[in-house]
Amino acid sequence: MRSFSVFPAFLLFLGPCVVALWPLPTQISTGTTALRLSADLQISLDGVRNAPADLRDAVARTRDFLRRDKLQLLVPDRGASLKSRITSAPLLRSLRVTLTGTEPTRPIAEEAIAAIETRQEGYTLNVPADGSAATLTATSTLGLFRGLTTFSQLWYDLDGDTYTVQAPFAITDAPKYVYRGFMLDTSRNYFPVADLKRTLDAMSWVKINTLHWHIVDSHSFPLVVPGFEHLSRLGAYNAASVYTVADVRELVQYAAVRGIDILVEVDTPGHTSVLHKAHPEHIACFEASPWTRYANEPPAGQLRLAAPATINFTASLLTSVAGLFPSKFFSTGGDEINVNCYQDDPATQAELQKQGKNLEQALDTFTQVTHKALQDIGKTTVVWEEMVLNHPVTLSNNTVAMVWISSANAQAVARRGHRLIHAASDFFYLDCGGGGWVGNHVTGNSWCDPFKTWQKAYSFNPTANLSPTEARLVLGGQQLLWAEQSGPSNLDNIVWPRAAASAEVFWSGPGGDGQAALSRLHDLAYRFVKRGVRAIPLQPEWCALRPGACDLNA
Amino acid sequence: MRTFSLFFFLGLNALTHVYALWPQPKNLETGDIFIKLSPNFDIKFESDGIAEAPSDLIGAIGRTKQHLFEDRHRRLNEKRGECDLEVLQDATSISLLKLSVTKSSIEPIAVEAVKAISTRTEEYSLTLPADGSAATIVAESSLGLLRGLTTFEQLWYWLEEGQNGIVYSHQAPVVITNDKPSFPYRGLLLDTSRNFFPVKDILRTLDTMSMVKMTILHWHVVDSQSFPLEIPGYEEIAKKGAYSLEQRYTTDDVQHIVKYAAERGVDILMEIDTPGHTDSMSGAHPEHIACSKAQPWHDYAAQPPAGQLRISSQKTREWVADLFRNIAQTLPSTMFHTGGDEINMRCYLDDPQSREELAKEGFPVNDAGLNLALDQFTKVTHDALRQVKKTPVVWQEIALEHWLEHLGNDTIVTIWTNSDKAVHAINQGFRVVHAPSNYFYLDCGQGGWLGDWPNGNSWCDPFKTWQRALIFDPLEAIKPHQAHLVLGGQQMLWAEQTTPENMDPVIWPRAAASAEVFWSGALKGSDRTLLTALPRMHDLRFRMVQRGVKAITIQPYWCALHPGGCDA
Repeated sequence: MRSFSVFPAFLLFLGPCVVALWPLPTQISTGTTALRLSADLQISLDGVRNAPADLRDAVARTRDFLRRDKLQLLVPDRGASLKSRITSAPLLRSLRVTLTGTEPTRPIAEEAIAAIETRQEGYTLNVPADGSAATLTATSTLGLFRGLTTFSQLWYDLDGDTYTVQAPFAITDAPKYVYRGFMLDTSRNYFPVADLKRTLDAMSWVKINTLHWHIVDSHSFPLVVPGFEHLSRLGAYNAASVYTVADVRELVQYAAVRGIDILVEVDTPGHTSVLHKAHPEHIACFEASPWTRYANEPPAGQLRLAAPATINFTASLLTSVAGLFPSKFFSTGGDEINVNCYQDDPATQAELQKQGKNLEQALDTFTQVTHKALQDIGKTTVVWEEMVLNHPVTLSNNTVAMVWISSANAQAVARRGHRLIHAASDFFYLDCGGGGWVGNHVTGNSWCDPFKTWQKAYSFNPTANLSPTEARLVLGGQQLLWAEQSGPSNLDNIVWPRAAASAEVFWSGPGGDGQAALSRLHDLAYRFVKRGVRAIPLQPEWCALRPGACDLNA
Repeated sequence: MRTFSLFFFLGLNALTHVYALWPQPKNLETGDIFIKLSPNFDIKFESDGIAEAPSDLIGAIGRTKQHLFEDRHRRLNEKRGECDLEVLQDATSISLLKLSVTKSSIEPIAVEAVKAISTRTEEYSLTLPADGSAATIVAESSLGLLRGLTTFEQLWYWLEEGQNGIVYSHQAPVVITNDKPSFPYRGLLLDTSRNFFPVKDILRTLDTMSMVKMTILHWHVVDSQSFPLEIPGYEEIAKKGAYSLEQRYTTDDVQHIVKYAAERGVDILMEIDTPGHTDSMSGAHPEHIACSKAQPWHDYAAQPPAGQLRISSQKTREWVADLFRNIAQTLPSTMFHTGGDEINMRCYLDDPQSREELAKEGFPVNDAGLNLALDQFTKVTHDALRQVKKTPVVWQEIALEHWLEHLGNDTIVTIWTNSDKAVHAINQGFRVVHAPSNYFYLDCGQGGWLGDWPNGNSWCDPFKTWQRALIFDPLEAIKPHQAHLVLGGQQMLWAEQTTPENMDPVIWPRAAASAEVFWSGALKGSDRTLLTALPRMHDLRFRMVQRGVKAITIQPYWCALHPGGCDA
């Protein structure tokens, strides 16, 4: 007869709580002392010469979070038994922020969009246990912003007291990878600006630094492009479902002051059916049927890549779009180019014959011209992996490739000497597992089934199978939301907290303890909900309150 | 007027003209005349010999008027109905809908909605003339009128024009003759134990259920994770077992929910799952719970935490019987669900007290003995329910796996593990509710939720799409003379990974699929197809969003605007 004992579980509950920071700082030490946050906490920028407005705003937002989060500790009694320790704890009255170095102070927004390899996101944060001033130090305002983000996650609420029971904190932190992204598709379904802003906020809370904005596709063209306004006028779902120049400017700024660079993608030459509405002359196989022959999903339609007029049109369109986004990066797409579309298009066939080229040669010209146009205005081109692995096109050496079909393809991309971003469907696609969405397809399933859990993403190793030289080509990675079955109704649910998994892999490095991570991720999800982001529960609340109790082998 | 036939819609261009009613009414005829709703439009109840309408019918009429003018739902085609503006200039207006019943008396909807499941009358007939004369809904009961009003609301679209826009229909005249459900039980299960759902989220869900003519909310209110239900005389269970005092349904909350539901034609079938899934009672009553939080949990339960009522204890049986009586008698439904799924035998066999009690009762200390104890447990608890005039409902294991000698013939069995189990319960003469995981579980496909399990997957993977649910055949493999034993069915939301944050997109519009199967009948053998259902489903989803329900998009918007364009 075995005896039942809940003793091991209780040990877990009462043992030192895991610090609920996400991503986990690279160096952290904590104590066991209770410390309260004073209601009139001063966050002093005296140590920052010419403190820029966006840093002051970041301080104000931090103060708001400290005041409003009101997140209770995730334990069965939600912290009630700590009452006496908390009420007798010393008060922390000030956080002193210092920018070191001799460089002139730059705004966060400027540092966030600087060339990715030059950004400095590190910071040092010390919170003493005795109530004496906490200090935050960094060599950049971007680093200070990351430190403020960490500071805002240290605290819990009990009956109006904002507290920690883990002071003192000594944190020295910097990311392992420079690119930590999230991709959003706003073409299959449209997302209003308010939803994008909320998403940017949430991204910044987990120190994600890039929004890869897959802004247009075959389904709709919501971007208003100067000189090409007719594309969105005819190609957006409706007049209200657009991103105006002012919207884009606002979003770029909103992102940058939150440490986020917007990498925009105009996918070419495939995924462009919608351009037919304004420019039928540039589109082959427009809404051709059966779509299964001409595209990976309906509606079919691709740019007539061989036609000089189409190449010029594309180059000037991309140039105009690039002018809206200050990022150094610009993605020209290049995924899923369908050969049948061109084979069955008389105009393309005639053009190829005239030029004496085959399709791949025409794609090479198309790519070189469009990429050169972007490089001429200082952009670094980004492409999907097929442009490196499947098509013999000439790419400049600094072109960055996104690996999406399979994580196993990273090695091949690296072997070609290209820098790469991990965005693999087998780990990072947030839409997998939602069932098939094509109509009249009763047994239809998600093409990339099953669902990619946060744990799956968290288990990702960015340098698996890569030599040390190849590993240096890894810029980082991202989770992705393709929006066939997503809209504002479920945006938060499908993204959060899952997309935080890669944010930690690429900030803290791989190999994190998944078991310990779960309770931190619960904490993050509950905090997100407090901040108005509809993150889903990863488990029953019973499990969230009892770390380890719902593990597979508990 | 031409006869409406879904046959026509196999031609693609006709698809755009499909009337977006969900569930599809029986005996529907439509025309092609545009008609506007007058800004002075009114709905009047006038029935011979009846002085005034029941107040909940008046409430339903008010909600219908509100929906008619506030849905602001535009037709789903490329221009979102804009092309209709021209023909609407000369269209006739309708200013009155008349409701009447064929009987000389009428009961409130809330009374009709909670009658014994097979005795409810939901039938109605509806006309919308094209000439501007009054529309009519005629039914035998207020519940039938409610179903007719629900249909009427879905006949209308909106266009921006002038101050308030135009509310119009494009397929008058409409004649629906004797539309009625194929099955009386059309439900949705909601689990409020794994995670808590505030009252307002339940009310919003009831409104949405009513929109697709569902009749039952199977409320899986408590489970091992938490006990959010305040039960008269048993308040201590929730005090110790709810996640917090705020995460608890008070007696007033329950009464409010039950009344709100009934006025919308929904009966609340409450479930207190026993004897398994009860660890949340152990905080207040450790004496009744075996293997509480035992580890490793997978030896003692299907999921953590372990803990089951001691079925071999007569004290526990009587305690549960009294608990059932106390809560059941506060509820208007004639049914009460006592659970009975996933009973773990090892939990008892490793529990010294249970072993002792088995021996004392003269039962062998093994699975067979435990089945005898379970038979006693079930008899005592079910008899208590019968005393307060409730029909017990159980999960399939109670009927199929434990050889219970005293299980009453009146018991209703909810089939869950697999659709092929239904026929077994029916062959034993039980009435069944279809709730099979291989068609109807809304939580499947979200990945595994247990910790420390990177490759964990949903146990019932893959995701069950709305198409999957819609092809379910309630009478498959069931002999015609047994068909009456099929009460209907339901989709289900187990809430391990669901809270108010994501409940709407997980449930809607998917759960409308079974609502149609059990109202309109199986897709197979009908003139409905998945192809014709898709644009109607889009329409329903967009209308839900207009009403503030965060229903998920089922395809790119492009597909919604191009019927047939995204078919396989």
